[in-house]
Parts: sequence; C-alpha cells; structure tokens
Amino acid sequence: MKKLIFLIACLATAPAMAQDFSENSQARSWNLYAEEPQTFSAKVVDITCEITGSCAENCGNGNRQLGLLREADNVLIFPNKNSQTGFQGAVVDLLPFCEQMVDVDGLMLIDEDVGLNNIYQLQLIKAKGADEWIKANTWSKAWAKKHPEAKGKGPWFRRDPRVNAIIAETGFLGQGLSHEEAYEITR
Amino acid sequence: MRLLTSALAAFSFAGPAMAASEGERIQITGEIIDTWCYFSGVMGGPDAVTGSAHHTCALWCSAGGIPVGLLGEDGEVYMVLKIEGDDANASGDTQLNLASHEITADGTLYKRDGLNYLVVETVVTDAGITKLNHEDYGVVPPFAIPNPNK
Repeated sequence: MKKLIFLIACLATAPAMAQDFSENSQARSWNLYAEEPQTFSAKVVDITCEITGSCAENCGNGNRQLGLLREADNVLIFPNKNSQTGFQGAVVDLLPFCEQMVDVDGLMLIDEDVGLNNIYQLQLIKAKGADEWIKANTWSKAWAKKHPEAKGKGPWFRRDPRVNAIIAETGFLGQGLSHEEAYEITR
Repeated sequence: MRLLTSALAAFSFAGPAMAASEGERIQITGEIIDTWCYFSGVMGGPDAVTGSAHHTCALWCSAGGIPVGLLGEDGEVYMVLKIEGDDANASGDTQLNLASHEITADGTLYKRDGLNYLVVETVVTDAGITKLNHEDYGVVPPFAIPNPNK
C-alpha cells in the first residue's frame, strides 16, 4: 500500500520536475539575454481553443496563434517568433502540422526574475520522428503570395499595404506628424 | 487495489488531457504591445519597446503575426486571444489598428503555465497612443523611420 501511495506521489510530481530540453539542440544563438536552446516533441494546437475551448477549423487557417503542447510535461509553449530576422511570427510554419505531433528546435526565453515563461523562438520543425528538419522561415514567401500587388524592392514590412495605410494616416510615431517631422525629432 | 488502479489510470489520463479552464472576469488598462520585442530584449529594454518610439515596429510585428499582448498597469503581460469577437490573433486587423494604443479592456482572464491569456469582450476606452517616449528614445529601431531625403 505504501509503495502504491509513493508511486502516485511520484506521478503527481513528475510534470513539475525540471527537465533538460537543451540536450541535442542545434538552435543558433541570437544573443538574447534570456535564451536557452531547447528541442522537444509536442503537439501543435490552436492556443485559443486550448485555453478557452473556442475552436476553429484547421487551427484557424493561419489567423490564430498556434502553440506547442510539450509531450514530456503537457506544458503549453507559446512560439512568438520564427527563424527569420525581422518581424515574423511562427504560425505559417506551424500550420501545416495542426493537431499533429512534431519535433521542434529553437530558443526558449527564460527569466524567472521577471516571470518570463514558455515563450519560444521556433527555428526548426519536423513531423515527430522524421529525418529531415524544416527551417521555420516560410512567412515572407506566404506574405508575397498573399500580396502580389505589393511586389517591389525592399523588405515586406516596408511594402505591407495595411501598415502603410496606418502610417499614412497617423505617421511613424502615431502622432500625426509628417515623415520629415517624425524623422527630424527622432534624430 | 482496484480503487488504486482506477486512481492511477484516472491520473495518467487527466494530466495530458487538460481541458480549457474557466476564466475570471477582469478589467485591465494598459498598452497593446508586440510581445517578441518586449520579452526578448532584442531591441532594448522594456521602456524602449513600447509607446510612440516603438509604434512602427509594433505595427510591423502585429502585421507579421507576432503575438500581441496587453501590457497592464500592473506590469503583467496579457496575451490577447480575441478582441470584441475577432479571433484573428495572428496578424488580424483589430489588433493591428490598436498597436501601441492605451486601452481599457473588459474581458476574461485565463492563466496557463506561467502566462496570462486575455479574451477582450469590450474595449471600454481607447485613448490612442499616450506614451510619448520618442522624446526619450527616438525611434526604436532607428531604421523604422527611413531618411526622407534618400
């Protein structure tokens, strides 16, 4: 009886035990103050569905943030960023694996002093157990396909129609200043 | 023995299959931020990656599908899941139009694995961009405003 109670106690505390997910990680450093390379297996989930029970077809078809439900401890990881430099999230890279098990590699941001938990930069992804990693860098191509009218030189964020419409209306600082005025007062 | 076996079986299934939980009604005032720049420190400290100084970058990040959060007056970040019924929390229009704005949100708070999640039922007030920190930090990142003479 005591052994069984001990076994139950062990099971109850297992998820809370610290685990080392850094072993075998190939993640590149971004020299972020709180980064830790981590690789693990997880299920790709619609975060809104997971948290609130309000679910959508195909994890929201790219309109909803996707999470990683880590297999080892059932912790919900929030991928904030893909592997591209710049301003792209990870949803486009995760969506093909909606509700599927994957292996991922990237950088976890950890700072217990400020309560920073389970925020992840996704660098590599593959179906669980597959041989070849896929770089999580597909956002810009997806954007270009979605916005053929914005084709041109320079990075996508200079050409994004929605962003440019807001800047045209309220300026780079959101204060109604002209381009020249905003540039001058920030030099 | 049968009872304990049942307890073990129940536990082993209850863990991984954690269901969506009940939320808590809450009203929060704060700024709509891009969470990657805020959490990662990639562009500087927390004060520099909010407000007017970071407005253009906040637009880029929101449009680029980086998760949006509400930085509350309590210093906590609330990951925004929906705003007034709009569930497009990855590059959606509603969140994009609120980038850097100070709002008061009435909604439902959920907590999971150390993160706060917020479903905004109503934007009670939208004060626009109130943190004019470009006076202190210029523009972050500096290339956000290109030289108009080039």
